[in-house]
Amino acid sequence: MEGKSYQRLPRVKIREMRDDYMKFELRDTDASVANALRRVMIAEVPTVAIDLVEIEINSSVLNDEFIAHRLGLIPLTSDRAMSMRFSRDCDACDGDGQCEFCSVEFHLRAKCHSDQTLDVTSKDLLSSDHTVVPVDFSDSAGMESSEQKGIIIVKLRRGQELRLRAIARKGIGKDHAKWSPAATVTFMYEPDIRINEELMDMLTLDEKKAWVESSPTKVFDFDPKTEKVVVVDPEAYTYDDEVIKKAEAMGKPGLVDVIAKEDSFIFTVESTGAVKASQLLLNAIEVLKQKLDAVRLSEDTVEADDQFGELGAHMRGG
Amino acid sequence: MNAPDRYERFVVPEGTKKVSYERDTKIINAASFTIEREDHTIGNILRMQLHRDENVLFAGYKLPHPLQYKIIVRIHTTSQSSPMQAYNQAINDLDKELDHLKSCFEVMLLRWQSIQWSTNRHSKNCKEAYFDKRCQIIVVCCHANLY
Repeated sequence: MEGKSYQRLPRVKIREMRDDYMKFELRDTDASVANALRRVMIAEVPTVAIDLVEIEINSSVLNDEFIAHRLGLIPLTSDRAMSMRFSRDCDACDGDGQCEFCSVEFHLRAKCHSDQTLDVTSKDLLSSDHTVVPVDFSDSAGMESSEQKGIIIVKLRRGQELRLRAIARKGIGKDHAKWSPAATVTFMYEPDIRINEELMDMLTLDEKKAWVESSPTKVFDFDPKTEKVVVVDPEAYTYDDEVIKKAEAMGKPGLVDVIAKEDSFIFTVESTGAVKASQLLLNAIEVLKQKLDAVRLSEDTVEADDQFGELGAHMRGG
Repeated sequence: MNAPDRYERFVVPEGTKKVSYERDTKIINAASFTIEREDHTIGNILRMQLHRDENVLFAGYKLPHPLQYKIIVRIHTTSQSSPMQAYNQAINDLDKELDHLKSCFEVMLLRWQSIQWSTNRHSKNCKEAYFDKRCQIIVVCCHANLY
C-alpha cells in the first residue's frame, strides 16, 4: 500500500556568490532540513587532505609532528573527492592507502642557503596529481599574484633543511576537522518586522530617535522629511529584543512586532577553498541523499517482520 | 594508546545492521528503529518529516549516549498506517525534497552565472583572465537555453 506524500517543494534564491563565499535564501522547508544541510556541509562533505607524512630530513625549529599537523591543515583542491575512494574501503591497495584511486602523493624539498630566512610554504608542495594541489588564494583575496606566497609551513635559517613525502587521502570533517570544506556555515530565520504606525505616531521626535538608536544593529532609521521610522534592514536584526524592551520602557508595548518566519532561512556559506561554495552545497545535498538512502529498511528486515507480524496477529487473536 | 579508531564514529562495524526494527510488544502500530552510526542530522529530519504525516501519532528520536554512535527513532501510528510504512514514506518524501532542492539550486546557479557574465562584459575594468573564465560559463548557459 502506498501512503500519501507529504513532500515539500523548497525554493532557493542566490543573493551573493564568490568562489569561497555564498549567501542564499532557502524557503518552504523547515529548520530540520536547514540544519541537516549545515551539519552535512561542515562535517560530512568529503575533501582531500594530507594524512600521512614521512619525514626524510628535518633540521628546522619545528618538530616532525608539528610540521605533519600543519601540513594536514592545508586545504587542497578537492573537486575530485566526491568520486574518490576512502582508503579504508579501497580494494586496489588493500587499505594501505597508497594507490592512485584513494591517495595523492606530495613531495617537499627545501633548504636555506642564504642569510635571509626562507619561508617554506604550501607552494613548495609538489603534487603527483595536478587536480589535487594546495589551494591558491591569490585570486579571491584580490591581491597581486606576485605578492601571494601560499600558506607558510615553517621558516628556515641558513643551513636548515626540510625534506619529506606526504600522502593525501579522502576524508570527512567528522573524522578530523582538517577534512572539513567549510570555514563557516550559518543560517538564520528571516525576520518579519512590523511597526505599529498608530503607536509610533504617538511618540515625539526625540523618542523616535532614541528608539531607533536602541537597536544595537542598524535595523531602523528615522526619516527626517516624513518624520517616520522606517525598517531599513530587517536582516540586520539579531533577535536581541532590545527594541522591544525599549518600547516597553517607553510605555508603548507592541510598538514593533518581530516574527521569525519559520519556513524561510538566510544561509551564508564560507568555504576553505577546497571546493567552491556553490559546489559545497550541491555536494552536501548529494551526501545527505546518500545518507537517507543508507537508512532505508533492508528487504530481509521487512520480510522478517511480515512473518513475525502475522504470528503476532495470531497471538493477539486476530 | 587504547583510543578507539576515529572512523568508528561513522563506519558501521561488520556483522551489524545499519537499521534494525523492533515492534512494541504492548502497543499495536508502535515500533522503534535503531539506526547505527547516525546522529541528529538524520534523526531530526526524519522526526520532523514524520510529524507532517497525519497518521503518525508519535515520532521521536534519541541519541542514547554521545559515545554510542546510534540513534533510536520511535514511531506510533494510527491503524490506517504502520510504523514501517510511515518510516519509508518519510524517507521517500525527504529524498524527493532534496531532489527538488538540488534542481532548483542548479537552475538558480545558471541564472546567476549568466547575469554575472553579462554585467561583467559591460564593465570596462574587468580583468582579462576573469573574462576568460566567464566565457566558459556562457557556453554552458547557451546549451541550457538550447535544450
